[in-house]
Amino acid sequence: MTKIVTSLLSLSLACSAALAADAAISAVKVTDSLDAVKANSAVWSKAKFSSVTLYPQTSIEMNDKNANAITDTLKAKKAQVGALYDGKNIALMVKWADGSKDVQAGYASTTYSDGFAVQLAGTTAKPQPLPYIGMGSAGRPVVVHLQKANEKVYEPNGNMDVSTQINRNQTALFGKELKEYDAKVASLATTNYARTFVGEGFRSLTEVKDGSAKSTSGMVYANGGWSGTLVRPLQDAYVNLSGTVPLAIAVWDGSKMGRNGVKNLSAWVAVNLEGQKPNEALLADLTTDSKGDATKGKAALETNGCNGCHQMSAADPKNFMAPSLRTIGGYSTAGYLRESIVKPSAVVVPGYNRNAHKNTPWYTLEKGKRISTMTDFSHLDKNTVEDIVAYLQSLKAEVE
Amino acid sequence: MSKRQLAMVMDLNKCIGCQTCTVACKTQWTNRNGREYMYWNNVETYPGTGYPKNWMELGGGFDAAGDLQAGVIPNLEADYGVPWDYNYESLMTDSADHSRFQPHVSPTWGPNWDEDQGAGAFPQDNYFFYLPRICNHCTNPGCLSACPRDAIFKREEDGVVLVDLDRCQGYRYCIAGCPYKKIYFNPKISKSEKCILCFPRIEQGLPPACAQQCVGRIRFVGFLDDEESQVHKLVHKYKVAIGLRTDYGTQPNVYYIPPTESPAKFDAEGKIIEGSTRLPIEELEKLFGKEVHGAIKTLKAEMKKRKETGVSELMDLLIAYQHSDMFRLDNHYYQQVAKDQKRNPLAPVDTRYIAGKFTKAGGHH
Repeated sequence: MTKIVTSLLSLSLACSAALAADAAISAVKVTDSLDAVKANSAVWSKAKFSSVTLYPQTSIEMNDKNANAITDTLKAKKAQVGALYDGKNIALMVKWADGSKDVQAGYASTTYSDGFAVQLAGTTAKPQPLPYIGMGSAGRPVVVHLQKANEKVYEPNGNMDVSTQINRNQTALFGKELKEYDAKVASLATTNYARTFVGEGFRSLTEVKDGSAKSTSGMVYANGGWSGTLVRPLQDAYVNLSGTVPLAIAVWDGSKMGRNGVKNLSAWVAVNLEGQKPNEALLADLTTDSKGDATKGKAALETNGCNGCHQMSAADPKNFMAPSLRTIGGYSTAGYLRESIVKPSAVVVPGYNRNAHKNTPWYTLEKGKRISTMTDFSHLDKNTVEDIVAYLQSLKAEVE
Repeated sequence: MSKRQLAMVMDLNKCIGCQTCTVACKTQWTNRNGREYMYWNNVETYPGTGYPKNWMELGGGFDAAGDLQAGVIPNLEADYGVPWDYNYESLMTDSADHSRFQPHVSPTWGPNWDEDQGAGAFPQDNYFFYLPRICNHCTNPGCLSACPRDAIFKREEDGVVLVDLDRCQGYRYCIAGCPYKKIYFNPKISKSEKCILCFPRIEQGLPPACAQQCVGRIRFVGFLDDEESQVHKLVHKYKVAIGLRTDYGTQPNVYYIPPTESPAKFDAEGKIIEGSTRLPIEELEKLFGKEVHGAIKTLKAEMKKRKETGVSELMDLLIAYQHSDMFRLDNHYYQQVAKDQKRNPLAPVDTRYIAGKFTKAGGHH
């Protein structure tokens, strides 16, 4: 009996632990230079690793039938994240379990690679309100560092060298010369797929190709999991990291057809640069859940008809009018949810192409600005809003 | 919707399935660099599995409410077929044993695997026709709608649908979204690629390679809003050219003159059944919708008129006495467009992102 009670108790503890927001990550200040840090560098022994929960993205459903069938069964994952910084750079390591090493390779149309990304809030005068978790929002840019486990990728047109853009069998070459040609073509491939993007909401992401964002990243597979590393400057044209750094992490599982929106992502999590003054308000927003009453919130949500447009559980019919909220709590901060209820137009992502669902436009364009078609609920009293936020925060995918 | 729209009309009564268009396209664009398996232009036997295998059942396009439908990304090996190549080098060796000359993969599937098979029982009522297919450069493209990266765009000046390879990240939702499966994943560059309607040729006033090389002279190319163009007359004036599977809701801009002529059936003794026709009208209805009846009626009426009076503008158009009678393109138009947009006429760029809106010093090169 005691055994059962204990196991039930530990189960409920595990559940409540899964529901709470992730604690802040401590970035340890080191004197070693982080310029050349890799996954196997000794300096990582100084890092303090914290747990970050990565939830499957379910707000927007993509149009890949096979991937959607898999996504419906996805669970949240726990990643271990450690951070280091010297005077110049910040280094992050993300470790997560993945049963198979998936590398997009070979002559195939349906293989996908594992990967990870780190998103940072772009330079703003105030760190709050934060950009939308899904690749930023208008006027609130983000920088996304993406690392994929691709084998070899050739940039189209490369350096405009048309002499290598010929089928090997259509060259006039044979034997040794053909082998040399093959080698020359092979040498044009990129073997490390690491890219940096800036964007203000999905679809707007643009790759930085002008050298204005420098970073190095890599990922190593061992013992049933990946270790991804990223080193980037604390300050550049896009971000200015100090005190408390908000960042978000996403991982893709190639065996689950992961790419783009088919991913697991964290909410904004806080990284405190040890020895610097933390931003208490930001820290509180990212590490504590709403104090509202979730049960009352559920009732209020239904009274106010939110579920008319938003899908609230997997069993509800799909509605293209609004993002699905069925697991919104996993990757949303209380601040974002609060803002979206009282100021629906504050964050309107361009999202899916509107002509994909043209009878259900979720925004109108007024003077180039996206105005949400959602009703403004700023008339609700503060407590009701807080209750709804608490309820939404409780909607999370199960942890695997 | 673009300001103007280029269109192609293919006369299925004249297609002989010689694949010259396929080869013209392949040698021009897709015989290299990860595109080997792609057929931006293919000619399939209908009824048949088509290319990729059973493409009509793979989803994509829009439902009646205008919502994009989820689709399936075909598998290269099972649905497209791995293009095999030979070890030509073995022929150059001194060895007398050339038995080692063999394909690099064991072929299991490929385009036209079921060429000329068709349906029905030979010789009584078997039938088939050829269906050449390219990207439809749709007015409401499924690929464009599906792209979560804004990497696909439709050119304002002529409605050609292109992939901005700078923006494309190889997610492949476009392939799921295209009901015609005419956009492909290039595994070598990890990006999607598709028929570009030979825009570098079009911009010089030349028809696309597939149309230029067509020995059956089945392909007409021009602007739909140009009332003097063959495509305008066939699509809008005579209404004999119809889009393929318009029920997918993408508003395709490649139009087909449906096959009107098919031989009569034979009875058990091998005698002609007078008044019968091998090609079931239901098959044409499936491909071209109810309008196919009107198109066939007009074509038959004009054929009769031509026989009786010797005069029919429609028949003259379809006969296409001169090769040059089939195309109405205008390189001056493109030069003007380039001048107005202050850009290189050949630059295949998505101008929405050229200013580098989100990067500090301009991200688009």
